[in-house]
Amino acid sequence: MWKSILYKEWLKLRWIILISTALGIMAVGSLFLNVQHDFLFMGAMTYWYNTLFLGVQYFHLLKYVPLVIGIAIGVAQYFPETVNKRIKLSFHLPINENKILLLMMLCGTTTLLVSFGSMFLLFWGLSAHFFPQEIVYGAIVSVTPWFLSGFVIYFFISLIVMEPVWKYWILYGLIGYAFIGLYLEPSTTGGYEPVVLKFALLTVLLSLSSLFSAYRFRKGEM
Amino acid sequence: MVRISRYILVLTAIIGSAVALPNLYWTIMEKPVNSPYVMYSIIDKGYMIQRSTPAIVRQDTKGNSYTREEYEKKLPMMFYMQLASSGTMPDSINGVEMDMHALRKARSTYRYQPKVRDSPQPGLYPLFESESGRVNLEMPNDFFRIQDWMVFIDAKSNSVDEAKSNLFTAVLTKRGFEFPARIIAGLPTTRKSCDEGYLVSDAKEQLFHLKMVKGKPYVKKVALPDNLSFKWIECVDFSNKLYYAYLISAANEVYVLFQDTYELLKLPVTGFNPDVDELKIYGDFFNYNVIIDGESYLKNITLDNKFNKVDEYAEKWETKYQRTEGKIFGAIFPFELSLKSDNSRYIDFRIKYSENFYWILLSLLFVGAEIYWIKRMKNGIMDHLADLLIIAVTGIFGFIAVNIFQNKFFK
Repeated sequence: MWKSILYKEWLKLRWIILISTALGIMAVGSLFLNVQHDFLFMGAMTYWYNTLFLGVQYFHLLKYVPLVIGIAIGVAQYFPETVNKRIKLSFHLPINENKILLLMMLCGTTTLLVSFGSMFLLFWGLSAHFFPQEIVYGAIVSVTPWFLSGFVIYFFISLIVMEPVWKYWILYGLIGYAFIGLYLEPSTTGGYEPVVLKFALLTVLLSLSSLFSAYRFRKGEM
Repeated sequence: MVRISRYILVLTAIIGSAVALPNLYWTIMEKPVNSPYVMYSIIDKGYMIQRSTPAIVRQDTKGNSYTREEYEKKLPMMFYMQLASSGTMPDSINGVEMDMHALRKARSTYRYQPKVRDSPQPGLYPLFESESGRVNLEMPNDFFRIQDWMVFIDAKSNSVDEAKSNLFTAVLTKRGFEFPARIIAGLPTTRKSCDEGYLVSDAKEQLFHLKMVKGKPYVKKVALPDNLSFKWIECVDFSNKLYYAYLISAANEVYVLFQDTYELLKLPVTGFNPDVDELKIYGDFFNYNVIIDGESYLKNITLDNKFNKVDEYAEKWETKYQRTEGKIFGAIFPFELSLKSDNSRYIDFRIKYSENFYWILLSLLFVGAEIYWIKRMKNGIMDHLADLLIIAVTGIFGFIAVNIFQNKFFK
């Protein structure tokens, strides 16, 4: 039974994993092509100087990429479940409903982890190739909330898509908009340092959020 | 598990609304509070005040108003270019002949902002050649950091220059430097008149002057009185070359470090809180205007050109929370949450509680409305006790949160 559910999730997610990971890696690659180009034209010393003292963020183009990937995976995984209320079929299986949902969530989160993890490691490795540890640390601190925002929007999409009453879509959307905005607050490089762990904790907690609207869904809330 | 997920969502909604709603309120309601511009007049031996809201008003401390031209004549050290241009610059002031070159050389401007101190520091700095024999300064090919040792990193290869690192580390160690550095302060730019390197405070809070002279390290330990340590140092590059830096001590005192003699002088400045106050120091031929600029107060401590106190002016005004719009804010919101601060460049959750308790009335009203709704839906009060408690404590934010993510587990 579990294998069948996993297979169903795999069918929904396999292409999106491939596409999002490829696009993510291309996005990171393009950042460093720009860095390499600027090193060649302005010199590494000037580029380091601009990064350290003039606030240049070589990684700024990465800001909304995790958000877009989070939306894509969330929609690919949950939207088909709402067509003709297919999710109800899963809830009729002789397995605990919450466990099914958590398994689905785990599949989506793993997909995000694979996609973001490969991007993050590539970003870290290439940053360390071009820059000293001070610049790399600041960059990692700055991009981490952006990656976390990808998870947060995925959790909010699962919450919204599973919600049976349409007017709550708007309300959940407003809360999600206000909340995700915190992760994307413009900041100086490394400025997120005091809050990164707090954001990570809130993101982990939010992974349980879709249980709420799924409960409303299966209880037939109108 | 489902109930836990609901409370997580309620928390999320409280955080989101506690940031967004106060932000929206202040965007609509906030009115500018501009601190006055107060400068000491060498002509009147008193203060001239310029206020910019709602219209520009120029006065002295007795309440006399002045036109722009009259105001500029009262502050000849500040407007000497304008006065010279219009032919109204006095030939002498206080018996001293006015020489434009000397006036220009004596001018200095410094501004301390709390957010510059409370921000991620670069950690890597360029060490310029101080005596290259060239007119212009040149950017080196490497940056240094001072942690377990002093390391120079070549930017092109992103690798350590071992020989140079060992040379500087050895000299620092020989001078009694204790690694790592706590503060590294300098002017890491080629846009300065000359290079004086860096002032570095070490792990034992000793102060050192570090620069590179003809490729060799120059390290000078600065003699400090007992128990004097610094929390912030900012180097300056003024035309008169009188001192290297302004230094703020752990006890919030302001010092200057004189050039070449390395003598430290404590300025007679009191009431400065570097966590929240800006500090502006305007130097001219006769005086230093040391201005402490807080959220709701301003203090101008005027010194003569030997750093002795001449006069002082202080003024207070209402904060935005003490004004009508702030009181209304306090009646609506029990607190506000913000990620940014005027005094820091770090992002963090910062909670500011309401300065009054009128919000409790609104919270009780929301609790009453919630009880009415629970009764109307024929639910038990005890099943909603946690929600009522959340509303009582977090007011409007909790009311929004528990009603968006509704508690219907008992239907």
